Amino acid sequence: MPLESQAATARVHDPGHDELRRLEAGLDSLQAVPETPRGAFRRTLDGVVPPILLLIGLVAAWQVYILIARPRPDLIPGPLDVFGALASAWSSDRLQLAVATSLERGGLGFIIAVAIGTPIGLLLAECRPVRRALGPLLSGLQVLPSVAWVPAAIIWFGISDATVYFVILMGAVPSIANGLVSGVDQIPPQLRRVGTVLGASRFEMATLVVLPAALPGYFSGLKQGWAFAWRSLMAAEIIVIGGDIGFGLGTMLDQSRELADLSGVLATILVILFVGILVELVIFAPIERRLLRRRGLMAAGLR
Amino acid sequence: MTSPVRTLVVTAPVQTAEPAAAGGEAAATDLGPAAIMIESLGKRYGTGPLVLDDINLSIEAGQFVCLLGASGCGKSTLLNIIAGLEKPTEGAVTVASGKAAVMFQDAALFPWLTAGRNVELALKLRGVPRKERRTEALELLDLVNLADASDKRPHELSGGMRQRVALARSLAQDRKVLLMDEPFAALDAITRDLLHEELERVWRQTGRTIVFVTHNVREAARLGQRILLMSSRPGRIVNEWTITDTGSRRIESPEVARLGDEITDQLREEIRRNAA
Repeated sequence: MPLESQAATARVHDPGHDELRRLEAGLDSLQAVPETPRGAFRRTLDGVVPPILLLIGLVAAWQVYILIARPRPDLIPGPLDVFGALASAWSSDRLQLAVATSLERGGLGFIIAVAIGTPIGLLLAECRPVRRALGPLLSGLQVLPSVAWVPAAIIWFGISDATVYFVILMGAVPSIANGLVSGVDQIPPQLRRVGTVLGASRFEMATLVVLPAALPGYFSGLKQGWAFAWRSLMAAEIIVIGGDIGFGLGTMLDQSRELADLSGVLATILVILFVGILVELVIFAPIERRLLRRRGLMAAGLR
Repeated sequence: MTSPVRTLVVTAPVQTAEPAAAGGEAAATDLGPAAIMIESLGKRYGTGPLVLDDINLSIEAGQFVCLLGASGCGKSTLLNIIAGLEKPTEGAVTVASGKAAVMFQDAALFPWLTAGRNVELALKLRGVPRKERRTEALELLDLVNLADASDKRPHELSGGMRQRVALARSLAQDRKVLLMDEPFAALDAITRDLLHEELERVWRQTGRTIVFVTHNVREAARLGQRILLMSSRPGRIVNEWTITDTGSRRIESPEVARLGDEITDQLREEIRRNAA
């Protein structure tokens, strides 16, 4: 069979190759997807202006209602009353203390939840028998409101920070583990096959293929885990009061309720809401945008 | 295109006629060292019907072999078995150089890595030291005319470019045998035509043994030195053509068309046998 000449032609400059190169370059540029990057400033402006406009509109409508309907201020306080309550909490340093305490608990609890939920998720995703046994339980735990654990936790740990952390973990761990599991499940089988073909060992497959491929799913699990952690924390702080427990936003909420100070209650709710939004905007959204854009998973309108 | 139109000598089909008795003789005349040896290979999934039946095949080093057949004839299964991704039910497959590189229909690049990093990952898994990876990856990308796209991510590349990165990645494995499973089936005709040229050039330049699975008769006639036709259910090798030509040929050339017609006739014959 005529094989003799093929190896000999290697690395010879031939005009046919140059022509092929130009052809390919032409086709590549024809098929290239034109990117229309928007500046960071423009992007921030697009992201920030609409919600702020909406906020101003809502507050204005609220104020107009107060002016026209003149409801009892102890039942429906106006925006100015709420703002006043916020200012007085700030000047007495209670607001700063509460936000710092709650954020610290939420943050620390979230980190512990990540440290526990990630290995559980990996185990579930990669080990069939474990998944069959533990999977339904974990999905069930995700549905179970973690506040339901508060009475048990109080009996076990007393009125202490341990109770609060326990409730946070019961809320966040299942979400994080489940997020990782669904992230791993959504990996196209072809990517694993490529890993096998390229000769990846079990460890290399896990670190170089499976984990990076599962990152988007894992990340949305983390986001949900944070949401559960923050919610569980607030619920726990409202219920678990006294003892040697610190002063958090939930505690502040409950104190205002006892004083029948509706302005204070609304002000605290707004603070809790804004802390949640801030964490999403400052920490999660930029990471997620980067993650998705690098993989071409971002819808064109959100770029 | 500068390739002169050379006469295409198609050897009389090595008729292994009766599919039932096929196999045996097909591998009879082996010249030179065999890069891939397949002996009485059979495959079935569980208790299902036979997918592959008594495949005997010897592929020479440096040969470009096209494996042709209708959908579901088991040609991809055969390729996966050669690749070591699936186990044969009976028989044996020997790849002389150890493992083989594989390329799929889907480029399957890792979407979180740039084109260059995708190639580098293959080098890393091969054990190339960190320092040399970058330059070697660039050289490989240059081989498929994509040195400029090294920093692009897969989603920024067109389908043809992705397949070329995948080709560079399989070349990065530095294995003597390259298995390709319908690598160009999802591309448009213009791109596919160019990639045929590209692949042929890379093959001539690197001297790899290539097993190319396709259901496109013209593609097989355009690329292959040796074309194996498979029947369906169970998959057997029913005929083969050897093309005595060292030069490049275009898909539009009358030689390719003539060979294509001949193969198509027999392919249809095989498909008709499955009717009713």
